[in-house]
Amino acid sequence: MDEKYEKSIHRLGRIGVIVGILFMLGIPAVVSAVYDVWPESFGQLLAVGAGLLAVYIPTNVSEVFGYTPILGSASYITFLTGNVTQLKIPVVVNAQALAEAAQGTDEGDTVAAISVAVSSAVTTLVIVAGVILLVPLRPVLTSPTVQTATTYLLPALFGGLFLNYVNDNCGEYRAKNKTLTLIVPILAVLLVNQFYPLSGKQGYVVIGCMALSVACAYVLYKTGIIKMSEKKKG
Amino acid sequence: MTFNEIMNSPLLYGLVGAGIIYILIFCALTFRKAYGHALEIGMSKEKLRSVMVSTAIYSIVPSLSIVVGLFSLATVIGVPWAWFRLSVVGAVAYEVTAADMAATGAGYESIAALNAAGDTSIIGTLMFVMSIGIMGGMVGVLLFGKKIQEGVASARSKNGMLGALLTSVLSMAIIEALLPLQMIKGPVYLAVAFTALVLTFLQRQFVRITGLKWYRSFIMAVTLILGMASSLFWVQIL
Repeated sequence: MDEKYEKSIHRLGRIGVIVGILFMLGIPAVVSAVYDVWPESFGQLLAVGAGLLAVYIPTNVSEVFGYTPILGSASYITFLTGNVTQLKIPVVVNAQALAEAAQGTDEGDTVAAISVAVSSAVTTLVIVAGVILLVPLRPVLTSPTVQTATTYLLPALFGGLFLNYVNDNCGEYRAKNKTLTLIVPILAVLLVNQFYPLSGKQGYVVIGCMALSVACAYVLYKTGIIKMSEKKKG
Repeated sequence: MTFNEIMNSPLLYGLVGAGIIYILIFCALTFRKAYGHALEIGMSKEKLRSVMVSTAIYSIVPSLSIVVGLFSLATVIGVPWAWFRLSVVGAVAYEVTAADMAATGAGYESIAALNAAGDTSIIGTLMFVMSIGIMGGMVGVLLFGKKIQEGVASARSKNGMLGALLTSVLSMAIIEALLPLQMIKGPVYLAVAFTALVLTFLQRQFVRITGLKWYRSFIMAVTLILGMASSLFWVQIL
């Protein structure tokens, strides 16, 4: 990967996230100062937020370890703008499949950054439109039909995404039968969920599946089931 | 001033507006840098345009579901703060839970009860707690983001074909983890996932047979809309 670009995109990302954090804390601070509604004490903040922090900090951190290998330098803008699972990850997977670029490569990382930047801007603008059109849109978007359809956003999304993983693409190589790697981790998730419900623990499940995928791919490669070859240039 | 008056005040609208403009600027800067680099490393403008069009079109539908969340969140914490929370970091499920946990932590039955009581004294606490509670990901990526990416790139480059294979299967974890977790939620979830899979397959075949490559940019968006719409049929019969 181009070192100069890598350095500068990470620097931009870090500055971007730090400024984002300043906004997140600055807005409550200004409102508190102007309207004199500061929290009574740090202890009160902790008492009110303890449950939330206990639930979300481990989840958020597990998502960083689970999703950053896929997002690469796009992680900064992704974690700043949120909606990681339902929007940013599918966007990156779709974009890398369209560009036939694998993650861990310069192309894959660059395509991830482009797609997340475009997606974040689109989402931000759609929400702006939602705010402006709050009154006329509310009856349409809160109708039972739309409510039912939006409930099933994620199965439609991941069902549609599945075929993006059925390919031999591996950056500059072709990996014949790579798709077979999917079988054991999927069965493992279904099996474990029978005894220990995994709902709400997606970050951890993704990390577990990564380890299992690597192990399966290694075994399939060593046993000659996955066959690697260089792509023809041009 | 009441809770609702402060949470819908022009000041808060102004601050949130500035935050939203900042997000758009950050998106533009990231895009410019990555796009310039993509051209430098020889990616074609046509390929990049296909990625951008597909991404933009596909992003609209999930974004509309965020707007649906905005409507419910805005009724309890006001429009501007709900707008900011859903544009920066947040997702609807987290924000509603966070607001509710902050309200119950302050002794109210729910965030709706806090809103109805009009208690302004808890506003600062509510806003800070909602912000701090979701920062784990941002702080985590600041601390570990570069190291994780370097680890993946180095594993790939040092180990030849095997390295390329093992790093390329990492992204499979997303579908391995998240698709089964959706499918086991119930028969309608399973049917919708399967419908979406079939729709994708059919559209890909359509592109292959007709040679209309431009349509590839629309496959994800069309699948999402028709897949979600199919739920209206499946809920009737399952």
